[in-house]
Amino acid sequence: MYDMIKQHRHVIRSIMSAKAVSCTIKSPVALQIGDAVSDSSRPGVYITDINLAEPVNIQEISFKNYYAAYLTVRLQRREDGSAKWVTCLRNYCLMSNPHAEAGSHDYFSIYRQQDSERDVPVWLSTLTPVDEPLDLNGLPDPETVSSSIQQMWALTEIMQASQTAASIGRFDVEGSYDVKLLSYT
Amino acid sequence: MAEKRRAGVVIMSDSKSAAADGDQEFLSQAGVSALLRGALLKLLESRPEDPVGFLAEHFGHLSSEADDGGAEHQSVSRALWHLSLAHHSQRSAFNNNVRVAYELLTQGVPCRVSGGGGVRGRLYSEMLRCLCSEGGLSGSTAAPLLRRIQSHDYEAVPFELFRQGVLTCAVFADYIRKSQCLYAAVASAPDRPAERTLCQAVLSTLREALETADGTDVARYLEASAKISPAKVAQAMAEVHPRAQLQDGPTMDAQEFEDAAAALFIARVRIVT
Repeated sequence: MYDMIKQHRHVIRSIMSAKAVSCTIKSPVALQIGDAVSDSSRPGVYITDINLAEPVNIQEISFKNYYAAYLTVRLQRREDGSAKWVTCLRNYCLMSNPHAEAGSHDYFSIYRQQDSERDVPVWLSTLTPVDEPLDLNGLPDPETVSSSIQQMWALTEIMQASQTAASIGRFDVEGSYDVKLLSYT
Repeated sequence: MAEKRRAGVVIMSDSKSAAADGDQEFLSQAGVSALLRGALLKLLESRPEDPVGFLAEHFGHLSSEADDGGAEHQSVSRALWHLSLAHHSQRSAFNNNVRVAYELLTQGVPCRVSGGGGVRGRLYSEMLRCLCSEGGLSGSTAAPLLRRIQSHDYEAVPFELFRQGVLTCAVFADYIRKSQCLYAAVASAPDRPAERTLCQAVLSTLREALETADGTDVARYLEASAKISPAKVAQAMAEVHPRAQLQDGPTMDAQEFEDAAAALFIARVRIVT
């Protein structure tokens, strides 16, 4: 595992000229659980930090694998003075079976399209409930209110889904004239 | 036995044959036998689960036709009766009933070569009006909806539009009933009006969910339902109603709430042009 850094050849290409960009690759750091460092524990997750000399638009990341089964790539984006970490690849499978040999020494290239250029939708990121319990003193029961609103929303959806492009036949009425006959008058 | 039965008649006349003629004459004059025959034929045709009820309905319709003289009124009430048999959520049964109602209302309209018939506009509008009132909607609540979907008297309404209009009215009736439940949930007590800020927070939660427009159906449903989850609703309510304020603020009465909720629905009803 500790030989990994020597085996890997990281190549990062920038979008502008499709040439390699120089970067500093730090030694992989193992994730530890708890405080004590135990010699016998072999953690399954390593983090490799890669620093770029200057911000670039990354087009492609190429590397040679050495027995890594899954890869997660996070990028730090600099936008208008603020720095934001985004996950562009999560648990990308490099080895179909972590206990077998397939993919263990393969070369991989990750391209820009593979990353989710859009951030996670706002509503999805706010799904997890707030930590502090809300003070519902005197407020209506949210379950009941939510249930009623959901049903009203669903009923509106049913109505909208049933709307067709059907239109009324204005001149198709019994006892009245046919449109085509108008031209003869 | 025969003598006993005729005892009353004997007073009036001497001969048995005269009494018999009187009975038969009465029956044939009133057309009762034809009436009964027609009723029995209809009964055999439809084979309802409740024969007595069916016969009662049948004779009821006949008598109202005799009173009003208008076959139209009879067909509208018959159509309404069919539509009342299944809730709109029972999709296939409801659609079948809509088809039956449509056929009832298009009887007598000659099929034109150019485009096929349809329900006369006046009948269609009357149907929708009756549907709304049978669904418990007041005239003022239903009026803005009807303005959008009813047709002119002289127009012919094809089946798809007919079905759409009927479904919209049925769904709207449910929607208003739900909004009344919602108001009751928001109001702190049955006899006191609900707080205005709470009402507005709840209504805007619904409005935001309705305005979720982007993406595929599945994405829309997920996003909308996330907006109206109990946690989100609790958050919205807590934001406008901090603990310090008790029930001192302005209130919103039930009718105003219902009108605001109705407006959200009606705004999304396509205007029939």
